[in-house]
Amino acid sequence: MAVDLGKQKPKLHRQLAMAGPWPMAVAFLADGKLAAGDQDGRILIWDMAAAPSSPVAGSKSQSAPSSTPIRMLVGHTNGVSRLCASPDGRRLYSASLDHSIRVWNLDSATTGEAETIVEPQSEQDKKAKKPEPTVKVPTQEAEKVLAGHGDWVSALALSADGKRLISGDYGARVIVWDAATGAEVVRWSGLPWNWIFAVALTSDGGTALVSESRYKRDDFDVPAAAVRLWDATTGKEKLDLLKVQFPKYDPQAASYEASQTWRKYVSHGIIAAAFSPDDKTVALAVAGENDKGTAHLHDVATGKLLRDLGSHQYGMTDVAFSADGRYVLTTGRDTCLRVTNVADGKEALQLGAPRGGQFKDWFSACARSADERYLAAADIAGWVQVWATDAK
Amino acid sequence: MHPQCPTHEHLSRRAMIKGTLATASGGLVMNWGGLTSAAGPVEEVKKRKKHCILLWMNGGASQFETFDMKPGRSTGGLFRPISTNVAGTQVCELMPKMAQKMDRIAVIRSMRTSEIDHPGGIYLMHTGYRPSATVRFPEVGAIVAKYHGTEQSDLPNFIKVSTQGDAGAGFLGPTYQPFGIGHRGDLPQFSTSQIKSDVELRRHNLRSFVESEFTRERANDPARMHREAYESARRLQGAQQAFKIDAEWEKHRELYGDSAFGRRCMLARRLVESGVPFIEVGQSSYDSHADNFSWHKGLVPPMEHAWAGLLTDLEQRGLLDDTLVVWTGEIGRTPRINNRAGRDHYVRNWSTALAGCGVKGGLVYGESDADGFDVKRDPVTEGDFFATIYQALGVDPTIENMAGSRPVPLAPFGAKVVESLLG
Amino acid sequence: MKRYETILRVCATTAIFVGSFNAEATAAEGLRDVIDREVEAAWQREKITPSPPADDAEFLRRVYLDLAGAVPDYDETVAFLADKDPAKRAKLIDRLLDDPRYAQHQADVWDLLLFTRSPPGYDTDKREHFQTWLRKQFAENVPYDQWAGAILRADGNTVDDGPPMFYVQYKSKPEDATEAITQIFLGVQLQCARCHDHPYEPWKQVDFYGMAAFVSRLDVVTVGKAGQMNKYAIGERPSGDILFTGPAKDQQPGMKGEPIGPKFLLGDAVKEPPLPKDFKEVKFTPNQPPPAPPFSRKNELVTWVTGDSNPYFARAAANRVWAQYLGRGIVHPIDNMSPSNKPTHPELLDVLARELAGHDYDLKWYIRELVNSRTYQRSSRGGSGAELPQWFESARTRPLSAEELAESWRTVTGYAAAEKLSGKKPETSRFRPLEGGYVLRFFGKPYNGVGDFQGGLHEHLYLNNGPLGTVISSAKGSLQDALLTGSESSDAKVDRLYLSLLNRPATESEREKIAAYVAGGKPDERWREAIWAIITSSEFRFNH
Repeated sequence: MAVDLGKQKPKLHRQLAMAGPWPMAVAFLADGKLAAGDQDGRILIWDMAAAPSSPVAGSKSQSAPSSTPIRMLVGHTNGVSRLCASPDGRRLYSASLDHSIRVWNLDSATTGEAETIVEPQSEQDKKAKKPEPTVKVPTQEAEKVLAGHGDWVSALALSADGKRLISGDYGARVIVWDAATGAEVVRWSGLPWNWIFAVALTSDGGTALVSESRYKRDDFDVPAAAVRLWDATTGKEKLDLLKVQFPKYDPQAASYEASQTWRKYVSHGIIAAAFSPDDKTVALAVAGENDKGTAHLHDVATGKLLRDLGSHQYGMTDVAFSADGRYVLTTGRDTCLRVTNVADGKEALQLGAPRGGQFKDWFSACARSADERYLAAADIAGWVQVWATDAK
Repeated sequence: MHPQCPTHEHLSRRAMIKGTLATASGGLVMNWGGLTSAAGPVEEVKKRKKHCILLWMNGGASQFETFDMKPGRSTGGLFRPISTNVAGTQVCELMPKMAQKMDRIAVIRSMRTSEIDHPGGIYLMHTGYRPSATVRFPEVGAIVAKYHGTEQSDLPNFIKVSTQGDAGAGFLGPTYQPFGIGHRGDLPQFSTSQIKSDVELRRHNLRSFVESEFTRERANDPARMHREAYESARRLQGAQQAFKIDAEWEKHRELYGDSAFGRRCMLARRLVESGVPFIEVGQSSYDSHADNFSWHKGLVPPMEHAWAGLLTDLEQRGLLDDTLVVWTGEIGRTPRINNRAGRDHYVRNWSTALAGCGVKGGLVYGESDADGFDVKRDPVTEGDFFATIYQALGVDPTIENMAGSRPVPLAPFGAKVVESLLG
Repeated sequence: MKRYETILRVCATTAIFVGSFNAEATAAEGLRDVIDREVEAAWQREKITPSPPADDAEFLRRVYLDLAGAVPDYDETVAFLADKDPAKRAKLIDRLLDDPRYAQHQADVWDLLLFTRSPPGYDTDKREHFQTWLRKQFAENVPYDQWAGAILRADGNTVDDGPPMFYVQYKSKPEDATEAITQIFLGVQLQCARCHDHPYEPWKQVDFYGMAAFVSRLDVVTVGKAGQMNKYAIGERPSGDILFTGPAKDQQPGMKGEPIGPKFLLGDAVKEPPLPKDFKEVKFTPNQPPPAPPFSRKNELVTWVTGDSNPYFARAAANRVWAQYLGRGIVHPIDNMSPSNKPTHPELLDVLARELAGHDYDLKWYIRELVNSRTYQRSSRGGSGAELPQWFESARTRPLSAEELAESWRTVTGYAAAEKLSGKKPETSRFRPLEGGYVLRFFGKPYNGVGDFQGGLHEHLYLNNGPLGTVISSAKGSLQDALLTGSESSDAKVDRLYLSLLNRPATESEREKIAAYVAGGKPDERWREAIWAIITSSEFRFNH
């Protein structure tokens, strides 16, 4: 049942504790379940229906209950960068800095048990140097490991029909996979110096958006970023959005001056991308750190910039469309999840509040459940924040 | 430049002196120091010409993302160690080329220095001394220019390519001032004379007369500096070829890696061949208070490629035995990772490296503790570091120069040469 | 009268200050006399031999540059040197202090201090209205505390008024504004305390943020347009706090910052009235003047900064202006007046600060006293060779600023006179006929944006190989024209050359050398080369 997300008043429903390395990715699964992955490669699954646990004694930052994770997905040996769930919510795809992509079948049985730290330690216990509390969680291994990347796999997306998976790494390589078999469909490379920051697929998996960037080699040696649409079946370039936007854009120039043509638009990189449900537009989330990050909304057919959506101080981290395509959800380094009206660019909701001192904590990723009953954000302070809407 | 700690916001005492004068006068020319006098050892040392290339990691490269990995520790970060051509020594996966050069370099994993901010650190790691209100210490480049330089050479004896540090020649005086050139290694604008050489010469002779009339009654440092800078500007006319590197760069792009820093490193080698005793080559922007891992992933690979290429090139040309290659920045970075995925300034324990000029390759000196918080073994101070550099270059680090009436040794009093690094 | 009692008291309580008060102070004694007495007492104590007094020519060029920002022209030079009036120096000083160029020059000096060559912030390079306002402050000799206060109060907008431009530089950067305000107006440097407690200074990180709290609610509001130019005003939100989480390096995810309230540097915290119950945070509306907050932290800061109760303001100003004329601060560097950086003449600095405040911050009066002193009027000949002599025993040597160079080149070559004579409307650039970008690059910014010096060699490359020749005019009314067409003897011509270019007659050897040089070839080429050789020389490059 369709909801008007912008008219909701979501309430903080769960603060799922994920102490230790930073949570970096989050995805909703079938049956009210949720997955999050962290910077060490750990993936935890929670059931929203599970009994809530009592908040940590003396915690100032916890105002909603957590619960114990029901599974831990093991195998990654370095950070999880992105998580995608299949349309039926029964498979999970994870991209990792360990150069691999793993496919997890959530219906398969668990294979073991592990002790892991999830609850943040109370201040008193920390002061007393007590060992951090652990819980026992059943573990599961991957159904498949997709090898083919030679560097950090930093970007991952699944087509809405669930048939095609696309991934990109820090060696400029992009691979399109058959999601069912794990076979490679096509691969191509971006500009050789670049890192793939973000990928997205249209609902049928036919067209890909790929954002490439890299950190400068020196103040005066700034290789060009790129944002392009590709034919995801043949690996041929279809449209260069930066060329459309900036006629003077020269991808071969690495000088400081040349970088000024695209620098403001790209800032620290287009860190996330999402096609609208009708595939007519694509939203590009701008990472920042220095400035505000917005989301550029482009027309897919012409590549033209339609408008900017939303704003996060110090940059965005993730972007997703609402089911009806009327809103974008964004997270950022301002400790907020924001819901912005696509038609007029006005902010409809702000979830979370800036925290910290001069620099805020990050919400590193966002997700919404298929039925839009829940919205979630991965919070580097060691939480997965979950809000409940009024949707039934 | 980083928002939280941009270098220009951290004015050092020296920079403040300059800032002050700049505001009072709209522009001051130079840090003209008091006179210096040290005869004797200079001529001795110059008989054995040595060179030094300083690879300057501006902003402070992270030891954890280069030479001092802490895999599996909470301070370790996102990169993984790789093996090197020295058994038992591992470095960061960002440095595959330098991993194959470890038998040529000596790494110091136990640096402990005393200036935690950029201006102070830049001053410290160029001079061996902390900034002082009363003494203007010279940079290592000025000292090497003095002891290994050639007087009246067409090329300046102390060249800085796209780098930092404003201590300059300090009390050694204007003769040893650095010549700064741009980030592409090109000569600055207006470097070439447009007038006929006979006209230039007679005009020059007249101007020299005008200068001498003025300075006769004035033992005036600014005027002397002005005159000497003028002289070097003229002499540079004869040495322009050394800076025309486009053609050679095409041949060496692969070796040094296709980056601006690589190009600068090749220029440094060429200047060594042309007899320049000291060249500093800078790479900017290591000040990774945020996104430390992305920044290092962007910066370290082109840097290490260029560095490895430089060592290969120097060695193939038989220059490495007489050329010391120093790798350092002004500070190290914190073990703890902050809430912006950044690492902040840290000087209790960090890493530097040396190669060539008799430095023992394949050596790792000193050790940090399990998380990299502190030196576990064999701490090396800035003074020890510079004493070792001077020793490697065949210059006694205890030689004293006069800053006014005060004798100042090259390396601070009490500094120890790390003998085990030298063959 | 009361002023001199203060001087007495200061000195009487300082037993170690030998020789500082061996003469009776009289009511007739001016500040200039106190300066000379104190400086000369220090020479005795330090066993220093001073340089001789500056001769008329040396004084003339120096005081013109220092007060008017340019050298005198040929006629002014000849007239002054010929004048037999024993009071001619004091009279010249009075005349220059009333010259419009005095206001221009002071405005240049302070504009550079307040904005640097490349100010941060959007549109801050378009600040001619601020500069005009600043010039007016000097032309009307508005007391320093008043115009400094106006800059910090920032009333009105950047076009119709001017002052708000200072804060425009620091939009959304209260920490940067705090550093600038304390450094410029209080002469202290807090930037280290921004990130960590400073080991040698009394101020801690919380002191820095206590000061930052005064400006943390400021915002830049666009209130209209004048032609293409935006008008900005400074709005102050009624609420909002600066959050402090300890040293940046210890910031961990999940930490909440503590709000820090406004507190004067090493002084009192400010008690704020509580906000009304029905308070709603203000959102500034474009094109409307921002409403004043019920309680203005900013105005509290202004009152404190420029008031009597803070120990820094008068001392910082007295020391800064002293250094402008004497080269070196009594505390040096002048903007680092921390307890660990001691003054060379502590009693004198006390007197200067009290006197400046006692004269209601009358800068013209203060400058008149400084440049009338024997101390200012020392020669730069002899001495130690230091560019900024610590005991003021010789005149300092300072390079001309970009503006001074351009103006002086134009004056001495007669480019300006020829321009006037031609009747054509001159170009508007202050650097004409040279390209301002180059002049500023090679002479205006001796340091790059990160505090590094960028080269003496570079400026010579410009002087030797750049387009400097365009200022050596040969048009009617120019120096070259006078030398070529004049009927005087060659000795007289060389004198004219030196009086024009260096404001002094030529010496015997100069007459011979130049005359022979000119006689050796085509006179136009040779005169031109001689002019080049002199205007690129050290004697021209520096104010000495």
